[in-house]
Amino acid sequence: MTPGTAWRRIAWAVLAVAVVIAVTPYVWLLLTSFKTRVDILSPEPTWRFAPTWANYPAVFIGKEYLPLLWNSLLIAGFSTLLSLAIGAPAAYVFARERFPGREDLFFFFLTTRMAPPISIAVPLFLFFTATGMIDTLHAVIIAHTSFNLSLVVWMMRGFFADIPREIDEAAQMDGRSRLGAFLGVVLPLAAPGLAATAVLCFILSWNEFLYAFLLAAFEGRPLTVGIPGLVTPHGTLWGQVAAVAVVATLPIVVFAMLVQRHLVRGLTFGAVKA
Amino acid sequence: MGVALRGIRRTFPDGTVALHGLDLAFEQGEFIVLLGPSGSGKTTACRMLAGLDVPSAGTIEIDGRDVTSLPPRLRGMGMVFQNYALYAHKSVFENIAYPLRVRKFAGDAIRSKVQAIAAMLRIEPYLHRKPAELSGGQAQRVAVARALVWEPAICLMDEPLSNLDALLRLQLRTELKRLHRDLRKTFVFVTHDQEEAMTLGTRIAVLRDGRLEQFEAPRDIYRRPASRFVAEFIGRPAMNTLDGEVRDRRFHAPGLSIPVGERSSGPVVLGIRPEQIEIVPAGTEGAVPLVLDVCEPVEPDVLWFLRAGDRSLIVRGTHDDATAESGRTLHVRFPVAALHWFDPATGARRP
Repeated sequence: MTPGTAWRRIAWAVLAVAVVIAVTPYVWLLLTSFKTRVDILSPEPTWRFAPTWANYPAVFIGKEYLPLLWNSLLIAGFSTLLSLAIGAPAAYVFARERFPGREDLFFFFLTTRMAPPISIAVPLFLFFTATGMIDTLHAVIIAHTSFNLSLVVWMMRGFFADIPREIDEAAQMDGRSRLGAFLGVVLPLAAPGLAATAVLCFILSWNEFLYAFLLAAFEGRPLTVGIPGLVTPHGTLWGQVAAVAVVATLPIVVFAMLVQRHLVRGLTFGAVKA
Repeated sequence: MGVALRGIRRTFPDGTVALHGLDLAFEQGEFIVLLGPSGSGKTTACRMLAGLDVPSAGTIEIDGRDVTSLPPRLRGMGMVFQNYALYAHKSVFENIAYPLRVRKFAGDAIRSKVQAIAAMLRIEPYLHRKPAELSGGQAQRVAVARALVWEPAICLMDEPLSNLDALLRLQLRTELKRLHRDLRKTFVFVTHDQEEAMTLGTRIAVLRDGRLEQFEAPRDIYRRPASRFVAEFIGRPAMNTLDGEVRDRRFHAPGLSIPVGERSSGPVVLGIRPEQIEIVPAGTEGAVPLVLDVCEPVEPDVLWFLRAGDRSLIVRGTHDDATAESGRTLHVRFPVAALHWFDPATGARRP
């Protein structure tokens, strides 16, 4: 055995351990969602049990959690669209134009993410109360857009910078306005980056709990906020918690699979090249 | 249709001046070459014409109409970029069709126009490909097709051949010349390569440090360079230039003294093209003996490098002129009619 293959085996072993650590909780979650209350609470954790489907209808139909799924989709979807609609043009300007204070302003976008989220929770709450938007989807969508915006600006600047300036100029010579060149040529060329950014925005918004909980605890609450509702005075309904959690993670897993190649490129390249 | 740049000045935000009041006017159907070393302002001038850059002062007129503040799309010009600037997500066909689609041409008009220009540039077999699947030469042909397909009055080209390898560059050069002849459009071509400029241009604008040195037909520039800079920049090998002074009907430079006829005395720069120095038998009237340093055969000619003081004089001759033996003395004559004179301080041409 050469040293090369020895190292390779060690690398595989380390990787295997990492995968097991990362995946086990999800597997356990999945199994739990199909367990009866008895199996869940049994003192010895077991891999073998008689599966039941009951948890899913119990929570989604019995407890009317289905609309929460819809809320999650609306919040994540619209906050992603809004972040891209504002953030992508901003990132394009950062990538192309020179103006005084450009780098400072660019860094400012990042600093909005440096403070702990809870620190702006009270101002946000007061703002949305004053504007009458509290406990609506709008409030959560706007709150999520506020932190996704910085992500979009940071990631998309790198993607736009990768596109040669001459592409914009060629489109202008071909008869487009500056805005037309951006919409018609630059944006389609940046589509892979845009998709990766969108998925990341969607995931962050989908998983967000704190702002959603504070701003929409009742009517507009998404799935994440619904889970604590299953902690009842009579005990925690672990099977139903798991069922909600499985449904909540499913879109993320699918999305991540779809764009993982672009996602890795976007996160490294976009950040470094900016 | 005429184009005129009047007093174009461009100062960049960092304070560098790319153009110091450029005046340039040309007519419909010309092949104008903007020639100069890097930093001469040639690309800036081209971008001003395109509308991709805005002059700090001065005006640009097309047919007497001031277009200085018009955006590129309203100027009626096509442009070819050095790095091709093709749309990677569109097929070759769609790349070429793009200016037509933006300008709302009908579907069959688009098809026939794209086919026609693709035939001219011999890229028909690649119309369904993506730009990434093209070689450099093919990609640049597509870029030329895209710039010309909607028949703009003026086609701008910013160093379009510079990214191609030597052989391809020659091929495409000839094709551009043919295209210009057939289409009768105005071409404005930016390059730093004097050979490209000489072979392509109907007129060449030689730029240096943001100023126009000379704007004439290639032949006239070659025969009567307006300055020492132009003299040395145009023609390969470059014109021999020697700093010296005229005294008693002779030009004196270190290691060299040649008869030049009646001239006023004083310091001056003498220039002579390598092919106009004559190698003559010893004892010929006016002949100057010089020692052969090295010789470079550039078949069918030979370049003789002769020592004159600490300088080297290049003579373009044939194998018959002498034997290539380093250290030998050759006798050369400088025909008075072939001499160019430049001001030693300003470099301007003197009569």
